[in-house]
Amino acid sequence: MADSDFQGQALAHLDALHNFAMYLTRNPAEAEDLVQETYLRAFRFSHRFQPGTHLRAWLFQILRNTFLTFYRLRERELPLAEDGVPDWDAPMFHEAPAEDPSVLEAHTDLERAMRRLPDDFRTVLLLAEVEGLPLEEVAQIMACPVGTVKSRIFRAKERLRAILRDYEKI
Amino acid sequence: MTDRYSELSDEALGRRLAADLPRHAAPARLRVAIEAATERPARRPFWLAPALAAAATALILALVFMPLLPRLSPSEPAERLARIVVAEHTRAVMWGARRPDILPASLPWLTQETGITLTKVFAGDDQLNLIAAEPVYLDQRRGLAVHYRDADGHQVTYVVLPAPGLPMPERTRVKIDRFRPALVHDNGFSSWVWKEGDLACFLVSDMVSASDVVRFKDYFVRVRLATEPIPAY
Repeated sequence: MADSDFQGQALAHLDALHNFAMYLTRNPAEAEDLVQETYLRAFRFSHRFQPGTHLRAWLFQILRNTFLTFYRLRERELPLAEDGVPDWDAPMFHEAPAEDPSVLEAHTDLERAMRRLPDDFRTVLLLAEVEGLPLEEVAQIMACPVGTVKSRIFRAKERLRAILRDYEKI
Repeated sequence: MTDRYSELSDEALGRRLAADLPRHAAPARLRVAIEAATERPARRPFWLAPALAAAATALILALVFMPLLPRLSPSEPAERLARIVVAEHTRAVMWGARRPDILPASLPWLTQETGITLTKVFAGDDQLNLIAAEPVYLDQRRGLAVHYRDADGHQVTYVVLPAPGLPMPERTRVKIDRFRPALVHDNGFSSWVWKEGDLACFLVSDMVSASDVVRFKDYFVRVRLATEPIPAY
């Protein structure tokens, strides 16, 4: 595949990647940085992409890995440095932090509830339900078995319903 | 069908997520930024890479073989001979005299070995200490060398070689006192070169800076006035 062809095909997924990045970072500027970094990496390592496989899933995987490497690491560094909680005491799933007025405003209860989900639950719902990726590709992106993906989708929806139930009471 | 999300089935909630969750399209500037960041720089001329590679290879080969290349010989015979004497001085500095005999006990033996007699010899003073005297064989000539060392540790070597007909390099001659020796610089060393009859005399040291050369002139005068070599046979 020629470089220009590859870049054209990859850029066709720009909106989907940006949407995903917005829900991961909850910050427009960081989302743009994340997407740009994702594309730079994708173009740099385009020779590793196997033609015939799902380019979209490959791009999502790069974006999520980049997010985990840089953004999540940075997000965790501050609380760990302040309260001295060691790594092994950190919970596997983090609740999203309280909303910051400087970040993107949520317009609907559904959007607000999604933001309150732990990262892995939010990611699995975004990939499987919003982007409509097959479970196998979601499993590949999240580097876990398909069974784990199914389980997380189920638990994410349970958690989402519980949060939405709280909103509906108000 | 209910509008409450909390009462939806799994499948219905999934559909509502896809339908109701706001989507955030990428701003146009992001596409522009990505395309600009991935634009390739202008192609280099096709001949540039092989030309640079060839130049780099030639440079490396030159650096590797430069020490093996023969040094250009000086055109003046006296300068060529001075270079040989400098090599002997360097050897003496690094390894010492081969037979460090002390004058004047060794003078008869030196005369016998070299065919040169020192009717007078500078045996050292408060500035220069005599270290050793020995016969040398340089440029297929038998000669003698006398080694001195000054207070600062500079080794000074006086060498006499038979050299009938050796022309002196006029352009490098320097007036010192009533003498006009030639000053030859070679490989970081200075040499005074002068003739006494058919003998060529050399005084070699590593004194090359301007202030050192002034002192080296003084050493020349001391040695020149107090030493008198003549052919023995």
